[in-house]
Amino acid sequence: MITVQNLQKHFKLNKQYRGAWGSVRTLFSREYEVVKAVDDISFEVARGELVGYLGPNGAGKSTTIKMLTGLLVPSGGELAVNGRLPWRDRQAYVARIGAVFGQRTTLWWDLPVIESLELLQHIYHVPNGRFRQNLADFETMLELKPFLNTPVRSLSLGQRMRADLCAALLHDPDLLFLDEPTIGLDVVAKERIRQFIRHVNRERGTTVLLTTHDLSDVQKLCDRVLIIDRGKLLYDGSLDALQTRFGGRRELVVDLAEPYSDVSVAGATVVARENGRVTYQFTREEIGASELIGRLSQRFRIQDLAVREPDIEATVRRIYEERLLEN
Amino acid sequence: MNHALTIYWRLLGVQLRSQLQYRLAFFFDVVAMSSTIFLEFASLALVFQRFETLGGWTLGEVAFLYGLEELSFGIMDMVFSGFDPSYFGQEIRRGSFDQLLLRPLNLTMQVFGSKFVLRRLGKIGMGLAVFLYAQTLITVTWTPAKLLYLPFVVFGMVCFFGGLFIAGATITFWTVESIEVMNIFTYGGGYLIAHPMHIYQTWLRRLFTYVVPAIFLNYYPALYFLNKPDPFNFPAIAPFVAPLVGILALLASLAFWHFGIRFYQSTGN
Repeated sequence: MITVQNLQKHFKLNKQYRGAWGSVRTLFSREYEVVKAVDDISFEVARGELVGYLGPNGAGKSTTIKMLTGLLVPSGGELAVNGRLPWRDRQAYVARIGAVFGQRTTLWWDLPVIESLELLQHIYHVPNGRFRQNLADFETMLELKPFLNTPVRSLSLGQRMRADLCAALLHDPDLLFLDEPTIGLDVVAKERIRQFIRHVNRERGTTVLLTTHDLSDVQKLCDRVLIIDRGKLLYDGSLDALQTRFGGRRELVVDLAEPYSDVSVAGATVVARENGRVTYQFTREEIGASELIGRLSQRFRIQDLAVREPDIEATVRRIYEERLLEN
Repeated sequence: MNHALTIYWRLLGVQLRSQLQYRLAFFFDVVAMSSTIFLEFASLALVFQRFETLGGWTLGEVAFLYGLEELSFGIMDMVFSGFDPSYFGQEIRRGSFDQLLLRPLNLTMQVFGSKFVLRRLGKIGMGLAVFLYAQTLITVTWTPAKLLYLPFVVFGMVCFFGGLFIAGATITFWTVESIEVMNIFTYGGGYLIAHPMHIYQTWLRRLFTYVVPAIFLNYYPALYFLNKPDPFNFPAIAPFVAPLVGILALLASLAFWHFGIRFYQSTGN
């Protein structure tokens, strides 16, 4: 569905001048520096995939999204969606995609939600029957009913996001771009939106490209992630594989029923010990959790235990900060 | 195109309804807007108490010129609200323009439909009032031809200043902030052609004749309406090129606008 080959986007940043005539000077200035926002990226996304697009701030995520949505023209490489060049025939292209940018709304500020949706129906030429059908579906799933007649400006952030999601999907797009769809929402609202995204992807077959900083979104939704930093694609694969590779160590916390002088066990190291509670660290490659538990229960009487998976958030932060994926 | 037009009317409806939601605020806005014009004109009229004529033109004749310009500028300011550079620059900064690019609709039409400042009716109404007041001070010999041509003169000015708005909005693709220099041409130009243009110094008049041909928009048509001789001996067709000047200015700025959009899509912000 999406084919990206050696995609590049270089910006010339004009030198900015200050003062009363600053903007005029900037306008005629010839001094600039080149910023490689996207530098030689290639990937493909198949129909029906739900792919997470990750990267720290300023990595080139939004520049890529802007090119994929036809807002920006690439400075090099190839980019095709359904065989189409997004910027070539803008109107025809955007009629087939949907986009939600978490920070902004596509809806009309002063209009009640339902009227915004009806306006979009006309803009996208959605036949009446299809519109009613879709609206009925989304209304239930996103619980839009209570605020359908409320002007957009009076909606809470979560309500607005649900309305925006509905607005982006009314015309049955093949491809949906989501940029931070859960930003600023509470746990319940986040979960509802995730469920909805999963539903749209599975039941409607909509291909979804999800940009987010919230890794639990990605963990719960995406089988595949792309990680980009400083304009380069660093990783293309599953989040689990990334976790196994860089996730560091799992932890097993054991409450022992009796005091033992030696609590060591083969395959794991003791990292903490207080009273009867011992914390072991181990890696997936060395030993499985059940085997470790087996070894321990042979030697000790165990009262209680818990396995702690390494925090994906911490893993990815480490990947960014220590540039683990760069060679 | 038809579709875009239908949507334009719908967007316009949205604008009107949301502005009329706060009736009292709207009412005061209209009053404020018309009082500005009223005070501006009143101060001009005061000058006539003392000097009686301005470059040989009576108060009634200047009011004719002034009212016609304010009326036209007001209509332009309302219809082209979306292109008002100070507003459009904000839209670029906020990224709202990107939202327009994501909709399968003609962009220009969407910008027209993105804002429609109805309270400009205050300015339009006051301009009309000054123009009608002029008719009570002087006797204009209206002929069917003159009456027929009058709306074309308004049309010419609307197109011309609309073109300046579009050009000013386009510049914000590069500068992001709207640049003050544009105001010299829009608001300054409007003020300039609201007065009899032979009172200005030669260089200024030439600038607004040959570089920015604003002299043909209001001054020359007024010479024709008021049966006044042409002090600069232009060909007899000079009073009748107003709509053409307007349309050419608008077309030129639309070409610039499309060029600007292409630039924006290649650089973003």
